[in-house]
Amino acid sequence: MAREFQRGHKARISDLTAGTDLYVGVQITGPGLTFDISCFGLDADERLSDDRYFVFFNQPKSPEESIQLLGAQAGDTESFRVTLDRIPANIQKLSFTATIDGAGQMSQIAPGYVRIVAGGEEVARYSFNGAEFSTERAVMLGDFYLKDVWRFAAVGQGFDGGLDALLKNFGGEVAEEEPAPAPQEAAGAPSFAPPGQATAPPAFGAPTASAPAPEPAQQNFAPPQGATPPPAPAPAPPSVHAAQTIVAPLGTPPGGMQPPAAPSPHAPPIGQVPGQTAPPPPGYGQPTAPPGYGQQPHAPTPPPGYGHQPPAPTPPPGYGQPAGPLSGQSVAPSPYGAPQGVPQGGGAQGVAAALQGYREAPTGQRWTLQNKKLIRVDLGADDQPVLARQGSMVLYQGKVEFSYKGAGFAGRIVGNATGQEMQLMRCTGRGQVFLAEEATHLHPIELQGDAICVSAENVLAFDERLQHEVRRIEGHGIPGGALFVMQFQGTGTVVVKTHGTPVVLPVTPTTFADCHAVVAWSAAAQAIVSSQVRMRYNAYPGHSGESVNLQFRGAPGNFIVVQPFEV
Amino acid sequence: MNQPLAGYAPTPVAARMENHGANMLKVAMQTGNDLLARVGSMVAYEGFVQYEPNPPAVRQIARDWITGEGAPLMKASGDGLLYLADYGAEIVVINLGGDSISVNGTNLLAFDAHLQWGVERVKGLAKFAGQGLWNIKISGQGYVALTSRGTPIVVDCGRGEDETYVDPDALIAWSPNLKVKGKRSFKAGSLIGRGSGEAYQMGFSGEGIVVVQPSEDSTDRLRVRG
Repeated sequence: MAREFQRGHKARISDLTAGTDLYVGVQITGPGLTFDISCFGLDADERLSDDRYFVFFNQPKSPEESIQLLGAQAGDTESFRVTLDRIPANIQKLSFTATIDGAGQMSQIAPGYVRIVAGGEEVARYSFNGAEFSTERAVMLGDFYLKDVWRFAAVGQGFDGGLDALLKNFGGEVAEEEPAPAPQEAAGAPSFAPPGQATAPPAFGAPTASAPAPEPAQQNFAPPQGATPPPAPAPAPPSVHAAQTIVAPLGTPPGGMQPPAAPSPHAPPIGQVPGQTAPPPPGYGQPTAPPGYGQQPHAPTPPPGYGHQPPAPTPPPGYGQPAGPLSGQSVAPSPYGAPQGVPQGGGAQGVAAALQGYREAPTGQRWTLQNKKLIRVDLGADDQPVLARQGSMVLYQGKVEFSYKGAGFAGRIVGNATGQEMQLMRCTGRGQVFLAEEATHLHPIELQGDAICVSAENVLAFDERLQHEVRRIEGHGIPGGALFVMQFQGTGTVVVKTHGTPVVLPVTPTTFADCHAVVAWSAAAQAIVSSQVRMRYNAYPGHSGESVNLQFRGAPGNFIVVQPFEV
Repeated sequence: MNQPLAGYAPTPVAARMENHGANMLKVAMQTGNDLLARVGSMVAYEGFVQYEPNPPAVRQIARDWITGEGAPLMKASGDGLLYLADYGAEIVVINLGGDSISVNGTNLLAFDAHLQWGVERVKGLAKFAGQGLWNIKISGQGYVALTSRGTPIVVDCGRGEDETYVDPDALIAWSPNLKVKGKRSFKAGSLIGRGSGEAYQMGFSGEGIVVVQPSEDSTDRLRVRG
C-alpha cells in the first residue's frame, strides 16, 4: 500500500500519486499529552511571511482554501487537505508540525505517523516514535516543498521550545509582533472566527461570534500559562491553549476508558441519527472532533476543571449547544463536505462530481500510474510497441491493435512449469491503454541502461525495445523445479506487479529471500539457491517444512524487492 | 487497549450514504426512505432496520436479472445506521442529483429505493448475455453506492475522437447516453486455442464517462456465497 518513509527520505509527490488533491493525516499521541498540529506555509526563504498560511485549529484554512484543516478522523489525530495546484506561487514549502500543549516531552509519545492519502488510498507514510526524540516539545514532522515540482520529505526534527519557538523559527516577525500581542489577539480572534463558522453550522456560530471572544480566550489562557514558556504571546498560542484544553480530553481520551463508555449512552438514541435533534452521543462526536469544536473557546467560559473531567456521559454545559447544529448536519450534508472528501467526495451532487477523485491523471509521460493499481501507457508518440501480459488490458482509447506474442520457448517452459502460462500481447498503434491485473500494486521501473531481474510471474508489461531474456534458476524444492526470471536491460520501462506493499532490501552478505515472495532484484546481484530444511514443529500436515530460499550476493548498491505474498 | 481502535469509531452522520474507510458503506436509514441493497452485503446495523429479500416490487422490475431467478436485492427499511460491504471491495458513493448512470450488476451495492431504475440488457452484445452482462440504469435524486476491486478510474469518453474500449470484466459503470457496441479487436489467429486474452471489448462512443476497476475479477462474491 503506502510507501514507507524513514526520517530524511524525500520523494516527488508525482512519484507517489498522480493526484494533487492530497489528504495529510497525522497521528501523534502520548499518555497524558495533547498536541497542536499545524501547517506552516512558508515562502522561498522558509519564512512565514504571510500569517494566513499558518493553518491551525483556529485558522482552519488558507485564503484560497488550498490548505484546509479537517480535524481528527479515520484514526488520525489531525488531518489536512492540501490542494497542491492551488497553492499560490509565493508559498514554496508546507511544514507540518506537532507541538505538545502543556507539559511533556517528545520522548513520551507513542508510535505515530504522517501519511498522505490521495484518491482514497494511502500513498506514503512516515512513521516515528518517541525513541527518536528526547526532551523536545515540538517536532517538524514532514514537509511538502517545491523544488521544480512538489516533493515530500520526512523530516522528524525535534524542537526544544514549543509552538512559539517554532513560530520564531519560521518567521522573524513573530518577535516583532510580540509587543502588540493584545491587539493582534483581539483582532485575530473574531476575524478567525468567520472561517471557522463557515465550516461550523450556523446555529452554533451565531451566538458565539459576538463580543465575548477575546475575554474567554484570555481566561482560558491563564491556567495553562504556567506550563508553557512565558514569552508565549505570539498570535497563536493563547487560543491554542484555549481550544486544546477543551478538545483534548474529549478527543484523545485519557486512558482507554472513553470508548467503552460510549456504547451505553449511545445505544438508546440510535434512531435519532437520521434527523432528530438530540445531543450526539459522545461515542459519535468525540473521536473525530468536528471542526465546530474550534469554536468552543468562544463559547461560554467552560467550568473550571472541565479540562480534566473524564468524558462524562451527561453533556456538560455548553456541550448541549452543538446538538442542534450536529443533527442539522445529518440532514444537510454540506457542512461536512470537506472532511468527507478524504476517501471520496460525498457532499457534491451529480455523478461527475462524485467521481471527480477518480479522474484519469493528465497525460505527459509514456507510462503514467493512475493509481496504485492501474497504469496507463500512451502509445504512438514514438511508435514503440509495448508487450503486456495477456488479459491485463482493462480499457483503451484510440486505434490500438493487440496481437498475440508468445514468450518464446522459455516462456512456454515457464507456463508449463508454473502452471501459469506466460503469454504476452503486443500493443501497437496510437492511443492509450490502461493496464491492471487483479488489483495488484503496480510499480513502473524505468531502466536507463541498467538491468533488472524480475520474477516472471510479476511482470505485467514492458517496452518491447528493452532486451529481455528468460533465465532459469534451478534448485531443489522449488515447485516445478525452477524459478523463472526475466532479465531486462536497456532503456525503457518495466511494470512490475506485487501483491501488497513490497519491501526493498539492500543486498548484504546475508540477504535471503523466499523464492515465492521475491519479486525482483538488480541484475548485478547474484542469486544462489540455498535450500534449508528446517524442522517446523508446528508444520501443518502435508507441509514438509522445507523452505527454499534465495541468497543474494552482490556489491553494495544492489537491492532486492520482496512482496508480502507467497504465491 | 481500546485506544488504537477508537479511531475507527463512526464519524458523525453527514449524508445519507458515506464511506467508512475505503471499503465500508454507512447508510443513515430513515423510515419512509428505504434502501435497496445487494443480498448479503449487510455487515452491521444499529437501530431498527428490517430486511426483505427480493420484494415483489423489485421482482417486477428486475424480472430479467441475469438468470431470471429474481434480483439479488433486498429492501431495507427502518431507522438506524446500516453498514454494507462487499468482501473488501472499494466503495464509491455517488449522489446522483438528477443524473443517471448505468451500473454493471455485480458492481452495484446499494441505492435509494425511490430512484428510478431498471434492468436492461446491453444492446448489441447478445454474446455476453450468458456472462451476466446486465446493467442497471439508475436515475433521479438520491444516492448510489458502487463497488470496485481496487481504486477505480474514470475516463472521459468524449475527449478523443476515437472510441473507448473496455474489458467487460473490468467495467463498473458508464453514462447511459453513451453508445455501446461489442468489438473483437484481436486477430482471428490469436483466438484459436488462446482465447483467454482480450477477446472482446465493449466500445463506447459519445459524450460521457466510463468507470473501470483495476481488476478483471468480476466474480459476484455475494452471489457465489449464496
